[in-house]
Amino acid sequence: MNSAPIDDNRWRRAVPVYGFPVINGFFLLLFALIVLAFVLTGYRELAGLGPVSGMNDAFGWGIWKTFNVMVLTALGSGAFAIGIAAWVFRRKRLHALMRMALLTSFLAYACGLLLLGIDAGRPWNFYWMVFPWKWNMHSPLAEVAICMSIYAMIPLAVENLPPVLERLWYFDSRLRPRVEKIERGLYSWFPWIIAAAYLLPGMHQSSLGALMLLAGERVHPLWQTPWLPLLYLGAASFMSFGCVAGTTMLCCLVWKRPMDMEVLDDAAQITWWLIAGWLGLRLIDIIARGALGTAFHFDRFAGVFWLETILIAAGGVLLWRSLKDHDTRSMFVGYVLSSLGGMIYRFSPTTLAFRPNPEALYFPATVEILVSLGFISLGVAGFLVAVKRLAILPAPLHAWHDMASYFRFRRPYIRWTGYFKYGYFGEDEPKVTQSD
Amino acid sequence: MAITRRDLITNIAKAGVPAAVALTTGAEALQAETIPVPSAAVSLLYDASLCIGCKACVAACAQANDTPPDTRGDALHQAPSDLNDLTRNVIKLYKPTDGSPSSFVKRQCMHCLDPACAAGCPFQALHKDSETGVVSWTAEKCIGCRYCTITCPYRVPRFQWVGYNPRVTKCEMCSHRLAKGLKPGCTTVCPTGAVIFGPRTVLLAEAKRRIKNSPGRYYQDRVYGDKDNGGTQALYLSRVSFEKLGLPELGTESVPARTLRWQRRLYQYFALPGLLYVGLVQVIRKSLKGHEQEAHELEKETGLRAQL
Repeated sequence: MNSAPIDDNRWRRAVPVYGFPVINGFFLLLFALIVLAFVLTGYRELAGLGPVSGMNDAFGWGIWKTFNVMVLTALGSGAFAIGIAAWVFRRKRLHALMRMALLTSFLAYACGLLLLGIDAGRPWNFYWMVFPWKWNMHSPLAEVAICMSIYAMIPLAVENLPPVLERLWYFDSRLRPRVEKIERGLYSWFPWIIAAAYLLPGMHQSSLGALMLLAGERVHPLWQTPWLPLLYLGAASFMSFGCVAGTTMLCCLVWKRPMDMEVLDDAAQITWWLIAGWLGLRLIDIIARGALGTAFHFDRFAGVFWLETILIAAGGVLLWRSLKDHDTRSMFVGYVLSSLGGMIYRFSPTTLAFRPNPEALYFPATVEILVSLGFISLGVAGFLVAVKRLAILPAPLHAWHDMASYFRFRRPYIRWTGYFKYGYFGEDEPKVTQSD
Repeated sequence: MAITRRDLITNIAKAGVPAAVALTTGAEALQAETIPVPSAAVSLLYDASLCIGCKACVAACAQANDTPPDTRGDALHQAPSDLNDLTRNVIKLYKPTDGSPSSFVKRQCMHCLDPACAAGCPFQALHKDSETGVVSWTAEKCIGCRYCTITCPYRVPRFQWVGYNPRVTKCEMCSHRLAKGLKPGCTTVCPTGAVIFGPRTVLLAEAKRRIKNSPGRYYQDRVYGDKDNGGTQALYLSRVSFEKLGLPELGTESVPARTLRWQRRLYQYFALPGLLYVGLVQVIRKSLKGHEQEAHELEKETGLRAQL
């Protein structure tokens, strides 16, 4: 049999992170933060937004919207950006990263939407969402709220089903006919679902930028532009590549898995091009509007502008350099820097570069920060559970066989729980002959 | 010849592309150049040069709207420093330190002809009445997103920051009093007639008459709200610059028309997104076929179940 040699590093199969307990010190810390956030949320619902946040009449939006939704859903646009590269532009290697992209996107959106509901002053009125004729079709915020909810609840959730079904399939052979039937139905609908999963985020990630168009001159001229929707979408694209590829690299580092440089180079190349194009568009736009002069004023706006531009550019250069010598370190640092710069860019128009009036100030209150942190922890905890229980992280083929022998010899009681009992390692295991 | 699915889709695309492009680019023609003035537009005319800053209108406003007096500033007087969750109408003083002319200014909702707050409001909680043109807030539709506090160029809508059931407070031109045939609270008590109520056409003519009768008295001999921000239903006359009174120079085009032009055009009738969706489905259908095939080849090669 012409299977690949055992030391092959190519990512060819998603394999769960096995042999590590889900509950450890870090997980308990996350859990404590989540519980605290839920308790504080209860207090917020009774007391109102004023006592728990730094929001005021001038800064009507705080970090719950401007960071957890605006910034973190940009990081969680991997299902959109990597998906388009893999499915529409057929960069086939990127399919290895798809499960990571779908999972991070789902968690970022779910946690963002939860916090959006908590941030809303009168959340019980969200039921109007069910009646399309009550929508204000031309409101960017209606577009964001409705489109994001539909996207996270339907296409994104459905795209995340295959790993869950797969686990059921391996769990018990009696479930297999039913699982396979569901899978067949699912895959026949997949083109329609996946297409919606690209159209909807394309719409709401750009509408997030359109939100601040209505604020007019109160957004600093370095950021306020008719191209804000496109720039927001572009930032989400390179940030999500950074988030997905960077997180995958970090996971490989933490759980000692080999890295597939073919896939990572592919992703880094696309990211580098996205960053170059985005920076070009941004600079052309600033120069064309005649706002470049304000970048050389000695004030905090110019400082923020140069900080984000230099971070994104430095990240892009590091990624470009990493392509030459396949250096994972500069690649990882490049992803981190460019994503940080993108995060500041997405954060600026609503907060750092928003000037409602000269004396207006906003700084998040302690409770506000704790709740924000709690909902980020919820996403991270969900991620840790998912990669340890489902086949999400890409790995070479031999990792799957390693996992099989691990469960067979080191954890025999796993058989008793049923997982893998009737799988390929149980009574109907096909005879796989390995060449080495 | 039987029509295959491919033919059907191709034909739909052939008809759909020009239709969608026409709808998107032609949307400009559909968008009215001038914003229509409501048939029975009511209006407030405030002449800052007549105002003596007695704040009777502030008290009358609270009384007419049945809001408790805002005594948070000092425990004795109803003296709000700005519009807030208890104050729909406020008198402020512009007094420069260099001794140039000072002026009072009455701040309340401008009732724009094309209001930015209503353009951004996701579920039409802020709504402009088609007859009177009053922009009012409906508690049953508001989700409390506070987008109106971001979008309003005059920073009028204010959110209630304390309590489990927050409300948005803004001047609604006492529409409950208008329904009974009464005038808005603030206009009933003004001792100098600095703020008067009436149909917009009448008040606009009155303002222009005042400018004509005493040329040079008013800033730029101009009525703020005639054309500004696409036109507003609160009209202002002043001796000092409008910007100093907190009325920004926004140009004659309304904020939503100016900033959301492309946004509106791209989503017109949902034509372009719909077309893009059908195109995406076609591309992905083909990709999926190839991907499935590769996954099954890998399954045969490795003996491990295909992962899609």
